[in-house]
Amino acid sequence: MSNTPGKTVHIIVNGTSVEVPEGVSVAAAVLGHSHERHFYEHSLDGSKRAPWCLMGVCFECMLEIDGRPNVQSCMVQVAEGMVVNTQKRPAVPGENGLSDQGDRA
Amino acid sequence: MNITNFDCIVIGAGPAGLAAACAARDCGLEVALLDEQAAPGGQLFRNVESPLAQRLLDEKDRRTGLDLVARFRAGGTDYRPHSTVWAIDGTAVSYSRNGVSERITASHIILAPGGMERPVPFPGWTLPGVMGAGGMDILLRSDCLPRLSRQEPVVLCGNGPLLLLLACHLLDAGAPVAAWLDTGDTLRRLAALPHMPAALGDRAYLAKGLRMARRVLSSGMPIIRNVRSLRAEGDGHVEQVRYTTSKGEYRLPAGMLLRHEGIIPRTHIPNALGLAMTWDEVQRCWHPTTDIRGRTSCEHISIAGDSAYVHGGDASLLKGTLAGIDAARRLHVISEAEADHRSAGTLRELRRLEWARGFLRHIFAPHPDIFAVPDETIICRCENVSAGDIRAAVREGFTNVNEIKRFTRCGMGPCQGRMCGPALAELAAQASGLPPRQVDMLHVRMPFRPVPLNEYCTLNGLGYEENHTA
Repeated sequence: MSNTPGKTVHIIVNGTSVEVPEGVSVAAAVLGHSHERHFYEHSLDGSKRAPWCLMGVCFECMLEIDGRPNVQSCMVQVAEGMVVNTQKRPAVPGENGLSDQGDRA
Repeated sequence: MNITNFDCIVIGAGPAGLAAACAARDCGLEVALLDEQAAPGGQLFRNVESPLAQRLLDEKDRRTGLDLVARFRAGGTDYRPHSTVWAIDGTAVSYSRNGVSERITASHIILAPGGMERPVPFPGWTLPGVMGAGGMDILLRSDCLPRLSRQEPVVLCGNGPLLLLLACHLLDAGAPVAAWLDTGDTLRRLAALPHMPAALGDRAYLAKGLRMARRVLSSGMPIIRNVRSLRAEGDGHVEQVRYTTSKGEYRLPAGMLLRHEGIIPRTHIPNALGLAMTWDEVQRCWHPTTDIRGRTSCEHISIAGDSAYVHGGDASLLKGTLAGIDAARRLHVISEAEADHRSAGTLRELRRLEWARGFLRHIFAPHPDIFAVPDETIICRCENVSAGDIRAAVREGFTNVNEIKRFTRCGMGPCQGRMCGPALAELAAQASGLPPRQVDMLHVRMPFRPVPLNEYCTLNGLGYEENHTA
């Protein structure tokens, strides 16, 4: 759609290298240039969530960035080689084959 | 070592914050500016120094933004980007930057956190692909438009000047737009008519609006009026939009649904500081009580820009200039007469812009019915609290939003009530029969933002860390 030549960097989204414009937020880069359509699964009901505001208000853009979980990705700029992962719903004791003690059944 | 004491700290690098810092510097103050983003500009002038955003701004806005940022950069303000303010305690401001928290002090503090889109819940609004219009505009300015097609087009819904601007930006980007669903209130639009003659005093502004309206109308984008009962539906992502009009129920396929119901001030900091607030009956939102120079109920804190009351970028710049000059006057760095002299032109210009504001705030007033959502609608996205949960709490006898919060957990998640606060108040008001201003506003406490405990304990390199390195 809009292919103005500009500087780009590469980030790795869920294991795939993606070329994105320099200087943009991780959240914008993932929405615009990766194949991922959601960012995390809600801890209460597992529903898939993605950003609403992209300006630091909604806390719906949480991603794991360079190993740190639950980062507000709209407030972080992309950097060459950055490793970004969408987040699965945390395991809940008593659900999905996990016993209340937390060890796998 | 970093300087930790200033004459003035400005929070926010949008038009108001930048203008405030420039004006205060011009008067001779030592100024620090803290801002969350990587570059100056706020939302209106986001990425203004990069060609990505410049393409989207019209010639006048681009020049204004670039001039302001250049003046700011050359002015000698101690600019600290990537800085999220999480506490203000008297004259001390604590903020987090790159995982380290610092605390600096100043004799005067100017808050300029700007506005945000009014979050209006509806069934399916938590689905990926449903966003605020402002979010989409940020994507366009970042050259990060998601993949769309004629089968998965954009649907716009709501009411407000930003939606008009976004529609133009989407047309410019060649994005497929299936429809504009208008939720505005015809009666309130008629109520705006008496304000029209005054607004004609600001021809340039109105001409810009009409230009955008013509562009949208001539594009052939279907505009559907009196839209109610909006729903987003889909499996893991929005796939279709449902709505009703006076003629019946309709469905549209959609790849993205963008909702906009106006801009409201970001009030978390003034709210937490206990500053006096005013309820705006027309725009249905709280804003800090300020005078035209941004003075608040607390002497050493002033507020500039859309966070004082929403009036757009041009006015924000003027409001910032007035607040910066007034800070220097308060600190006796310039005399009353000097302050009056420096403010005169800006005051005149701001009063002129007020003419059009009276008209716009009525014509784009939110329809109260937009909050009449079905029980299953998620209101608090963080804690999954539904409209039905809130109504049940009101039936239990709770009418103050803070009681309802404790009873339902609505507003207790990471966003600290930013996304649900306005809707919670409207729902509590509807269910209890009280006017919204009587159900109170959510009390915000510090930290304004979630901050890791180890950052809290190692402010300015003190505490925990020191004990371990000693």
